[in-house]
Amino acid sequence: MINFSKVKILIGNKKIENKILLPYDEKICKFLSDFSNELNNFKGSSKFPDILSLAFFCRKGNIIKLKKKFLASLDNKRLPLGLIFHITPSNIPTNFVYSLVFGLINGNSNIVKVTSKNFEQVNIILKVMNQTLKKHDELKKMITVVKYNNEDSFTEEVSKICDARIIWGGDNSIKNIRKFQLKPRAFDLTFADRYSICVIDSHRLNKVKQDDFASLIQKFYNDTFVVDQNACSSPHLILWRGNKNEKIQNIFWGLLNNLVEKKYDLTHTASVDKYTELCKKIIQDPSIKKFKTYSNNLYVVDLNNLSPNLDTYRGKWGFFYQYNIKKINEINKYINNKFQTLTYFGLKKKELEKFIFFNKLKGIDRIVPIGQALNIDFIWDGYDINRILTRVIDFK
Amino acid sequence: MISINQNKIFKVLRSSGTYGSIPSKIYLDQKNAHNQIIVLSKIISSFLGEKRVPMLIIDQDPILNDKKMFGARSAAIFGFSIFGTHHTYLLNREGEIDYDKLNNFIKNFGDKPFFIFGFTSLIFEFLIKKLYKKKLKNVHWSNAIMLHGGGWKKMEQNKINNKKFKSILTEKLNIRKIYNYYGLVEQTGSIFIECQKCFCFITSVFSDIIIRDKYFNVLEEGKKGFIQLMSLLPSSYPGHNILTEDLGQIVNNDKCICADKGKAFLVFGRMPNAEIRGCSDTV
Repeated sequence: MINFSKVKILIGNKKIENKILLPYDEKICKFLSDFSNELNNFKGSSKFPDILSLAFFCRKGNIIKLKKKFLASLDNKRLPLGLIFHITPSNIPTNFVYSLVFGLINGNSNIVKVTSKNFEQVNIILKVMNQTLKKHDELKKMITVVKYNNEDSFTEEVSKICDARIIWGGDNSIKNIRKFQLKPRAFDLTFADRYSICVIDSHRLNKVKQDDFASLIQKFYNDTFVVDQNACSSPHLILWRGNKNEKIQNIFWGLLNNLVEKKYDLTHTASVDKYTELCKKIIQDPSIKKFKTYSNNLYVVDLNNLSPNLDTYRGKWGFFYQYNIKKINEINKYINNKFQTLTYFGLKKKELEKFIFFNKLKGIDRIVPIGQALNIDFIWDGYDINRILTRVIDFK
Repeated sequence: MISINQNKIFKVLRSSGTYGSIPSKIYLDQKNAHNQIIVLSKIISSFLGEKRVPMLIIDQDPILNDKKMFGARSAAIFGFSIFGTHHTYLLNREGEIDYDKLNNFIKNFGDKPFFIFGFTSLIFEFLIKKLYKKKLKNVHWSNAIMLHGGGWKKMEQNKINNKKFKSILTEKLNIRKIYNYYGLVEQTGSIFIECQKCFCFITSVFSDIIIRDKYFNVLEEGKKGFIQLMSLLPSSYPGHNILTEDLGQIVNNDKCICADKGKAFLVFGRMPNAEIRGCSDTV
């Protein structure tokens, strides 16, 4: 029996029934699309874009598409693993639901640790989910959501009984949670600290029409400022491919700055921390060539050269490094397994594919056009989550 | 922070700095340390008088404390100690009020002006909350001149503002001369003392202040923003011009006598710790 005395149960009860269904069972799909509808209909939802994207992700059409993809790409002789323990990030309010959906849609039973911080979005989501569950009795036995601070004893107990543990949130949390042993056959699916970059072809950007340029800027903003440039898939370094064209770079940053001024609410903390980081870098790092600040909203730092520890060139709250390259292959040797997402504009899929596979790169698991950096999917961080959260039965 | 040759280092101060974990070190040469004392004396003498007086410190003796105590706290205690005689620490080794010591101090020195120094939160904790009046033999506190600083965050949690803090002390112990100060370890010496009429901090001839918004534009009077402090004193380290993480506001005090003396300003404490989005934390 798990001791729930020190945690707050937000969905479910103390009885963990470990109910499982077949992956993509109709009951699960129906539950998710109902949940999506109810989220959309809930009065307070509309002011939270992240709730709306969540509802959009769980909508009937998308679930059907995901199911088709699952059935087409995998032999369907698969069963869920059993009980999944999710330890989700504290700073992205909707992330815990995506993690839950990963486990649930594959038929697993789930215990989810949700952020202990108080987000209105989380309250709305939990309220709506509880409401939806009233009409989905069987699903009730598959979802437990709890909230607690650093109650290690609870983490320890659940770790002992789960069949897989999903740990979001950085190298330190992973290290800390790994202290708690799993059953011999259970395993961790971890989302560690990652580093992401963006590649833009200067020549192609120069040719872009005004409207398309504006839309590209909006997309870049969504990849970065929407999450304070602090998601693992938000780029820190912009590589300009082709002949150096400072003019087009400046137009890009200028337009971005206009948008940021209109939409972004820079906090006092961000303003000071960002400035301190800039000063520190200028003092310490000889590879800083020059920098440009667009008020305090946007800092752009030019590099003289790329360093072996490229993945430490990180910015937050609108702090970007940039560097010019003639060919994409110039960056091969800097790519290590910290690299996650490469967002791009003006490059061909084919050449990027060649770049990754021909060079057998150690890192980069996602290559997506600018604007899709944050689109979470069942392939994430180099993992095929459907495969990982099910077991395959070998029939001969 | 250093801008002198290593062999000129006379004293090292530590500041908790902005990031808490790594304290910054401030290197003083003899001249800089000397100037700090001279200026601090000038500012303190404006309310404490020219003569040194017996001093009651609302803290533990930093020497007694074996844990690596405070840094900023012990630095302040030592800094202000030069204005006192018969230094007496209110707290014993266990961190409790030493009533015998306290009664002795008041008995010996209570009939003439004496100096009380401490951090705001400790004065609140011990003199306001814990001090049990029945254990006091005499209540000759009316000659006390109290100087306190820092620690307003804790006060906010207890819903005690500056005015209430003063009025409780007056009510409970009949202390009437209470001076709040604001200052940085990085600018030791040129501290800011609160005006007794309008309760604003006042710049001295050794210091100045600018308020900036989050884009670092200079703000006009009455607007809240980052406090930037200037001091004439630092000469052995680059600390004469510091953008702090404290929020404050310059107040126009035409009606107060302090308006003739310098800029009057309010301090609202460290800027709020904004929630950062991102996925690298799971608490």
